[in-house]
Amino acid sequence: MDREEIQTIIIDFIETNFEMSDIGLDDDLNAVHGFDSIDAIELLREIETLMQTKLTRNEEEQAMGIRTVRQIVDFIENAIKDRA
Amino acid sequence: MERRVVITGCSAITPIGYSKEDILKSLENGISGVSSIRDDELLVEQLNTRVFGTVDESVDYDFPRKYRKTMGPVAMSACRVVDDVIKQSGLDKALLSSGRTGVAFGSSHGSISVLKKVFQACFNAHATEMLSLSAADYLKSMVHTTAVNITRMFEITGRVICSPSACTTSSQAIGFGYELIKFGVQDAMICGGAEEYDTTTVAVFDNLLACSTNYNDTPERTPRPFDADRDGLVVGEGAGAVMLEELESARKRGASILGEVIGFSTNNNGGNLIMPDPAGVAKVLEMGLDSARIDADQVEFISAHATATRIGDVVEARAIHSIYGDRPWVTGLKSYIGHTIGACGVIETILTLYMMERGFIVKTLNLDHVDDRCSMVRHTPQLMETKIDCAAVQNFAFGGINTSLLLKRFS
Repeated sequence: MDREEIQTIIIDFIETNFEMSDIGLDDDLNAVHGFDSIDAIELLREIETLMQTKLTRNEEEQAMGIRTVRQIVDFIENAIKDRA
Repeated sequence: MERRVVITGCSAITPIGYSKEDILKSLENGISGVSSIRDDELLVEQLNTRVFGTVDESVDYDFPRKYRKTMGPVAMSACRVVDDVIKQSGLDKALLSSGRTGVAFGSSHGSISVLKKVFQACFNAHATEMLSLSAADYLKSMVHTTAVNITRMFEITGRVICSPSACTTSSQAIGFGYELIKFGVQDAMICGGAEEYDTTTVAVFDNLLACSTNYNDTPERTPRPFDADRDGLVVGEGAGAVMLEELESARKRGASILGEVIGFSTNNNGGNLIMPDPAGVAKVLEMGLDSARIDADQVEFISAHATATRIGDVVEARAIHSIYGDRPWVTGLKSYIGHTIGACGVIETILTLYMMERGFIVKTLNLDHVDDRCSMVRHTPQLMETKIDCAAVQNFAFGGINTSLLLKRFS
């Protein structure tokens, strides 16, 4: 799974499930789209499904500081690399 | 200083309708909202009862996802009726968020359909491994889900009372809201209750032999409060809300006043958690009159709890007679809608307000032959056009809790 595929999947998931639209790669998801901690936890579960693995507690805490889609994609890429 | 408390908005989603006109039409024409129980693919096949007070009407829950995401069906119906009463009362955002407006609301449980999902995940190793439970599941299934989803959606910053006490959930909500305004703690309270379809509640009553089973093929003939052939209660679903306000602030706003709450009492039997207690029930009715500072002969109509259980109706009829004699008309409104548990107190209050406004009283549906043991009170024999100035709404719950609300036509 390359970076572009991950980005498409994440944006599609957010737009479909969270009823948000026109998401820019560097938009602050909370400030611009009202993305909150409930959405973040739900997105983490989707990332686990995507990666077919469970995230560690440290990874989850790190992920809660994420603000943009670009950062989400970076996070997933790194998590995949760590498991390779 | 005690302040007067008036009602400036009311809305109910019931098995006999959602709009006021539909509800009144069903009441006037003696139409029952009881039908065959829905299949939950879990418990229904094992139940003896097959009847339920069902909301068939399609209700719009077109709330933005940011609110919807923390709501199960029970919170959605709660927010629907609250949205209605806020619009009807005309209370604006400044007042809602002033800290002087609060919420008293409840349901028997949080969303039971979400709780089922939680339990299923707990017993499924694979689902648990992948943490299939969403972050919002707790917010949907916690017991105060209705009250706090209301505060979030309407940005209400005052007191929150969650009153899950089974069948007295929403009558206590109204009563506690009334007391907060009466004694100056809040200026307005949104009060009520909701109950979503829940087979587990039906199963509990069914196992206690409290549910009606003889009319599974003719659902509209049950429940039969006070009737010699009654055979138990019929569980139902629904929601209701009332806006309570301090009289002077409601007047200043030019709000339309639908009625006045003049008294409230609640007590506990202090003993058996299931069986009704004649002394406890009679006491709460007496305390209600004391709270309202009126005499028993001023009450013209009683909305009885009247679940149509064999013992409960007898205890209630005797208690009514011991306090009110045989003067007020008595009707069991659950005969139209079934027993909506956490919502029954507020729905029965709203139906009573509708009848007070229109100037009629409906009979108890299916009351063909009054049980001799319930005959000492004045059962409403037919639809009667009559002015009601003062009414009592009484409810009793598992856990030994009793309530009595006293309502007055506003003039």
